[in-house]
Amino acid sequence: MSKNSVKKVYVGMSGGVDSSLSAALLVEAGYDVMGVYMKNWSRDLPGMQCPWAEDLADAKRVAVQLGIPFRVFDFEREYKHLVVDYMIAEYARGRTPNPDIMCNQEVKFGLFLRAALAEGADFIATGHYARTGTGNSGAPVSNAVDFDVEKSFSAFFESPRVPLMAFEKGNQKDFSTKSKHPTTSDDGVSSPTYLLRAKDTNKDQTYFLYRVTAAALARTIFPIGGLTKPEVRAEAKRRGLATAGRRDSQGICFVGNVGIRGFLGQYVEAVAGDIVERETRRVVGRHDGAIFYTFGQRHNLGVGGGLPYYVVGKDMEKNEVYVSTDLNNREFWRAELRLSDRHWINDPPVAGRRYQVRLRHRAPLVDCEFDGETIKLAAPERAVAAGQSAVIYDGEVVLGGGVVLNS
Amino acid sequence: MIYLDYAAATPVSKKVVQAMLPYFGENFYNPSAAYGPARQVRADYQEAKHRLAQLIGARPAEIVITPGATESINLALFGVKTPVRGDSAVITTSVEHPAVLECARAIGATILPVDEQGRLNLDDLRKNITDDTQLISVGYANNELGTVQNLKEIAEICRLERFRRAERSLGVPLVLHTDASQAAGYLDVNVARLGVDMMTLNSGKCYGPKGVGLLYVRSGTVLEPIIRGGGQEMGLRSGTENVAGVIGFALALEIAEKKRKSEVKRLEILRDNLEKYITTNGAIINSRAKHRLPNIINFSVDGLDAERVVFGLDQRGIQVATGSACAANKGARSHVLTAVGLTPSQADGSLRISLGRGTTTAQIEKFKPILKEVIENEQKFS
Repeated sequence: MSKNSVKKVYVGMSGGVDSSLSAALLVEAGYDVMGVYMKNWSRDLPGMQCPWAEDLADAKRVAVQLGIPFRVFDFEREYKHLVVDYMIAEYARGRTPNPDIMCNQEVKFGLFLRAALAEGADFIATGHYARTGTGNSGAPVSNAVDFDVEKSFSAFFESPRVPLMAFEKGNQKDFSTKSKHPTTSDDGVSSPTYLLRAKDTNKDQTYFLYRVTAAALARTIFPIGGLTKPEVRAEAKRRGLATAGRRDSQGICFVGNVGIRGFLGQYVEAVAGDIVERETRRVVGRHDGAIFYTFGQRHNLGVGGGLPYYVVGKDMEKNEVYVSTDLNNREFWRAELRLSDRHWINDPPVAGRRYQVRLRHRAPLVDCEFDGETIKLAAPERAVAAGQSAVIYDGEVVLGGGVVLNS
Repeated sequence: MIYLDYAAATPVSKKVVQAMLPYFGENFYNPSAAYGPARQVRADYQEAKHRLAQLIGARPAEIVITPGATESINLALFGVKTPVRGDSAVITTSVEHPAVLECARAIGATILPVDEQGRLNLDDLRKNITDDTQLISVGYANNELGTVQNLKEIAEICRLERFRRAERSLGVPLVLHTDASQAAGYLDVNVARLGVDMMTLNSGKCYGPKGVGLLYVRSGTVLEPIIRGGGQEMGLRSGTENVAGVIGFALALEIAEKKRKSEVKRLEILRDNLEKYITTNGAIINSRAKHRLPNIINFSVDGLDAERVVFGLDQRGIQVATGSACAANKGARSHVLTAVGLTPSQADGSLRISLGRGTTTAQIEKFKPILKEVIENEQKFS
């Protein structure tokens, strides 16, 4: 790369091994890399100290090791507003939201991307297990598919990047006015950017990324999307990265060990109520707040004896939680899922065509069709709680998805 | 590897480890038990406390063993009967360790400023003592700057205040406590000569095991326990005695005292040598008090991101600290450096290098160019 064609990348560094290696690979590929720690949450909870300071130190340690500049972007206020408040409000409505999806949409591929571009970055990068690809609809060509550890990274980056034409309405102003660099590519040809599943099918994180816009993806590099987790660990170790041996973080970071119950308890006043057996309408126990109960949940009902109970529904107004011991209860199974808040990265799915849907992170892909509002599953599936997302795939390509409504 | 963070932790010397080992093994008994082997353990424990007392010029009954300096300080500050809770019950300085500051704030305290070398102004102290003041806590030597306070003068001020109160029949006692954790092995820690009423020492800072400390409590000082239980340590700190820890602590302090004068001389030469190098390379020395520890250099490069230098040196096998370890962990700016008037960018650009028993001339010579190189390298990113 010649000097003036060196592209500037802001890489989100969390202090974990995935983003650490991502930063290392970008440096090795010759990018002008800026490490950024997004400070989203630092509040301690009862019995749990928020590890943000350690995470930040780890991220910075790696940045020093790589010889790159490092900054902290403080999104704490925005994160509370956009992610945490949303999450609490959803729970209060009796739904089970997914804050990680919101964090990606609003913070990492919203605030962070805009801030990076405003400072003159050409791209952002994150340590997600996902890939992007370009091409004309239906036949995307992945940039990261053929990533080869030994051959290194350059092949990936030398492929022409996508011009930033397909702006979403809301984002356009922010991108184009704040960015110091022109956002069209050399050849001026526009081809959409696709989100593609990661090489590591076990770690694939595209379920959490379906609400990211094509415009944002066109500005995003996923350096480890073509690697498996064991490869990431091995490559991090080979480079002696300070975070190579770090344990993976588990679950929603800010809820951590306290669990969602302990977390919500800090913010929402829960009122005790009845647990009612669905079939018999018999009160079989008491709950300490319907908000804490999630569809499909088995444990912590405080109902003793006999077969285990599962939550099949709740009525937030009556403050009742409905349970059943019958796993064949039709409420557990769905052949159709209605979606609200739908988001399509490029073109929406075509009615009558066969796609695949994922109802939970890491859940297997299930055949389906989509008519514009409702997913029709090839066979009934264990239902998911309202507020969770259903993400539709066309093979490797993530089309988008929506939030599951109550039946 | 070059370790230059002795103010954070000191390695336990081999002799000390050897002396402790039997008390994890064959001499495991509870010193409170009634049978022979336990009685022997009890005797060994008492003997070690006896030695500790001797080393600081106290009587064994004046030594309360604690699980470290933080608890000694908590006992000293919360244990003194303070019926009056107000801003003048406790007087301390703005450069104390957080253990002192947090306790003082919880009780209600006057926190006095210091000069740019980190020293307490004695007139300031005199002026701020009121009839309600019951405890004055001043750290002997500062852990970030190495500044040594004039404890003898402070003790004299307390003595005169006690006379004044006695003459006016004021019943309020006045107690002087010092946190001498950083001083052991470098300064005179004889309580009689210092004139203090309470003194905190930390085994982990003088080549003894971590998790052991002591609080010297002059007889006649009324103290209430903050931890209750089986009544060990004269009722002031319940809990089965840490026999191995105290055996190790006593031997470590004895060795430190024995080596003290020669170590001070040796380290002063190494320190001055390194400090001169740092100065000629354009940094500002913050640890420039006339009376200071022989082993601490604190310096600033304005605008530098000192944490990057710490990480950069770490990758080259060299360990140093930014400000104080506690402050660095929380990502907060050092209150000590702020108190002595450093600007935020000077404080953020400050490093603490602390020498110790393992530091050699060869290490310092090897360290110099690496420090320069890493600072110059990291300045690009600051």
